[in-house]
Amino acid sequence: MSYDRETSSAKIHSEARDAGESVTRGIGNWVPPGLDHRQEVKWIAWAFSLSLLYSLRFFLALFQARDSLFLQAGAEKILDVNAVMPDFILLLRDSLIGFPMTALGAAALLAYHYFYHFQGSKSIYLMRRLPRRLELVRRCAALPLLTAAAALLAAGLLLALYFGIYLLVTPETCLSSGQWDKIWNVLR
Amino acid sequence: MLKLNNVSKSYNGKPALKQVDLCLSPGEIVGLFGENGAGKTTLLKCILGYLPFDGGITLDGHPVTRANIARISFATCEHSFFPNLTAAAHREFYELHFPAFRSKRFHGLMDFFELPANKALRHFSTGQKNQFEVILALSQGADYILMDEPFAGNDVFNREDFYKVLLGILEPSETVFLSTHLLAEVENFISRAVLIHRGRIVGDMTTQELEDSGRTLMGYVKETYQYKSDRVSKALSDLTGERQEEL
Repeated sequence: MSYDRETSSAKIHSEARDAGESVTRGIGNWVPPGLDHRQEVKWIAWAFSLSLLYSLRFFLALFQARDSLFLQAGAEKILDVNAVMPDFILLLRDSLIGFPMTALGAAALLAYHYFYHFQGSKSIYLMRRLPRRLELVRRCAALPLLTAAAALLAAGLLLALYFGIYLLVTPETCLSSGQWDKIWNVLR
Repeated sequence: MLKLNNVSKSYNGKPALKQVDLCLSPGEIVGLFGENGAGKTTLLKCILGYLPFDGGITLDGHPVTRANIARISFATCEHSFFPNLTAAAHREFYELHFPAFRSKRFHGLMDFFELPANKALRHFSTGQKNQFEVILALSQGADYILMDEPFAGNDVFNREDFYKVLLGILEPSETVFLSTHLLAEVENFISRAVLIHRGRIVGDMTTQELEDSGRTLMGYVKETYQYKSDRVSKALSDLTGERQEEL
């Protein structure tokens, strides 16, 4: 089949595919050419979903700890005035670990993007002689860096959100002081 | 003019290129010949800036940088295309990065070699992959087209077609620097032969000079490499002698 004939006979399919798989537009412009970026985006979405799901174990620890602040008096629950809520950081434990792990996975993705240029051919030769100096770096690093940044941002936001919830559900008299310092000490 | 001035390159202290001086002028079709490991590929990779080297390489007086690299294209038997992309997607990519991309030539060559436009290259045969690699190099819009054994794996008819097409489409300003083992095939196609041996340029002659001196390219190569013509008969004789002794 000649180029022209093949082009015309497959025009509709080609246009439909080009719209989704362009290497110069959309996400296709930010990953190595020909890479299955849809699959990668799916894996990244899975990593975020699992990280979020795993982080929910914080609530299990939080509400168990909150329950232990109360004494059962018949049908009622009375706050034990001497009880102290465990520190936020102790309740949080490794609930947010999925996000830094996703960020680490993004570093592996960066390496994979680079070595992709050696799979099945040496497309690295083409990438290294493009007039745009940063094209190779841009295409290898964009998605992994975005993923890592989004993962760390999500971890930060969830940390703030979960801490807010911790403060909200913990009776003031049961809060021990210096919570921020304790979080900061762990983060450091 | 692409000029190599005193270019040397070594791998872990082992010299691969030794003080190479070479000039490629516009419009030349230059064959680069040498045994395996002679330094042909290393020489091409140094021109493209893939390998660090000692000496200087200039393109019209300027070092080869990102500013002028688009004037050099490269076709290699290792292939530099993206196997998961279609030919059409490659065209799109090249058009974006190489403003002088020759779309008409690309379509013409795709049509001539009957290559499918919308099939991922990984599904191409080896011969088709080689053809496409060369098509990209010829269509980039480069003034200097470097080729490293581009036809390895292609059948003889296919290669012959390519030489003819190449001669027909090249413009006077386009220069081809072709590294190959296929001496006899390219003899009538090249305008100059450069011989490299153990990293040194040991021969450089135009085909006109060869013709004037009454030599063939093969003869020139054998002469330069001091090929011992009785080598095979002597080896066979020795082997046969051994066999007779064994019997």
